[in-house]
Amino acid sequence: MSVKLFLLFLCVAAGTFCGYMILLSYKKNYSYLDGVCGMISALKQNLSYKKDAVPVVLGGLKVSSAQLQKNINEYIGFIGGQTDKRVISRGFLPQSTYDGVTDLFEAIGGSDESSQNARLDALSLRFGKLRTEAERKYKSMGAVAVKLGFLIGLGVGVLVL
Amino acid sequence: MEALYRLIPDKYSAVIEKRLSLQRLSELRIINGGPVRVCYDGVYYFLCESGLTKDKSAAFTAGGGSAEQIVMRACSHSLFTVTDTLKRGYISVTGGIRVGVCGAGVMQGGTLTAVKDFYSVNIRLPHEVKGCAGVLAQKLTCNGRIKNTLIISPPAAGKTTILRDLCRLLSDGGRSVLLCDEKYEIASVSCGVPSLDVGCCTDIISGVDKPKVFEMGIANMSPEIIMTDELFAADLPYVRRASTCGIAVIATAHARNIDELKVKQEYSDIVAHGVFDSYVVLSGPPSRTVTVYEGVVQ
Repeated sequence: MSVKLFLLFLCVAAGTFCGYMILLSYKKNYSYLDGVCGMISALKQNLSYKKDAVPVVLGGLKVSSAQLQKNINEYIGFIGGQTDKRVISRGFLPQSTYDGVTDLFEAIGGSDESSQNARLDALSLRFGKLRTEAERKYKSMGAVAVKLGFLIGLGVGVLVL
Repeated sequence: MEALYRLIPDKYSAVIEKRLSLQRLSELRIINGGPVRVCYDGVYYFLCESGLTKDKSAAFTAGGGSAEQIVMRACSHSLFTVTDTLKRGYISVTGGIRVGVCGAGVMQGGTLTAVKDFYSVNIRLPHEVKGCAGVLAQKLTCNGRIKNTLIISPPAAGKTTILRDLCRLLSDGGRSVLLCDEKYEIASVSCGVPSLDVGCCTDIISGVDKPKVFEMGIANMSPEIIMTDELFAADLPYVRRASTCGIAVIATAHARNIDELKVKQEYSDIVAHGVFDSYVVLSGPPSRTVTVYEGVVQ
């Protein structure tokens, strides 16, 4: 009996774990996009008053997403002459987000103030939509994934028994 | 000179670091697709693998997009921070380095709105020669008062270097000096700290037009002396006004000598009305002489 219960527990745990991993992936994506929106907002604030160089603004940002921090470091490294080519690693990012981020890092700093503002506004809108979608996925579908994982695990466990 | 090495390709900086003395290097000129030139001890040479050469064929040849690459590095890939100065033909870099930029202007309704297609750059390095204005500082003091002085020389003859040292000496002597460092090349303030020594009693306003500095400075900082580089016609009424407010003005202007200065309409009035008590004429290398003229010069 104890072996059966243990098997059931294993199946439930595995199912829940899978659901939780899906939740985490949604969270990572949301956290990344939230960081990007914060970054755009910081760049826009900088444009309206301090007008510091982009690496100064990005260097002073506190971001929770490890992937975004990595991308920022790659960009600062390129500007600092550490690499000859601008490389922004993709990591876990979906293609649409990655395209947007590549556009963002190509656009920042490459024009005068009014053009920068217009470009950042457009990018802010684009990433705002992506963030809203990611937040919805994280909050609703993430929870569903955990519950579903639990139930599937339980179902598989019962079937195995 | 980390700031210089950050601007230029590694192969140039390696040669400069290994084979040249930065103290003697004053300019580095890069033209897209052209040989790289340097001004070393006041003489132009081509930069090559072994250091300096007069042979153009042995020189490093700059790539097609070299000027743009240097411009982007100079502004830390943030063109919006330098749009205004770019329209005036330069970018100020930390450490007092000034990058002169040539390219194609974008005009809109007769106004220059942007510069694009960068073609060439002239990287000018600052030099700090402490004590070079020692004798001059004494000559410009009369009964405890500093004379209104105009330092004249052709470009690259050392105006800024002598102005910086004069500022340091007068300031360290306890006088309140207001330094107008429009192009960040006299004190080179970065994050609120000057990277070149301009004295302990110097207030510095950086990156602001001279007329504004004269207005703001006289009203708020009560300076004894205002020092500024490279006067142009638009600045002269403000200099005249400051000199009648009991403030000494020490400035520089481009000309070979006083006669050449007087040819410029705006300066001929200033000279005739005796706005400046002294004129200091610097001759460029190799002689590098300093001549002081007193009073109204006929």
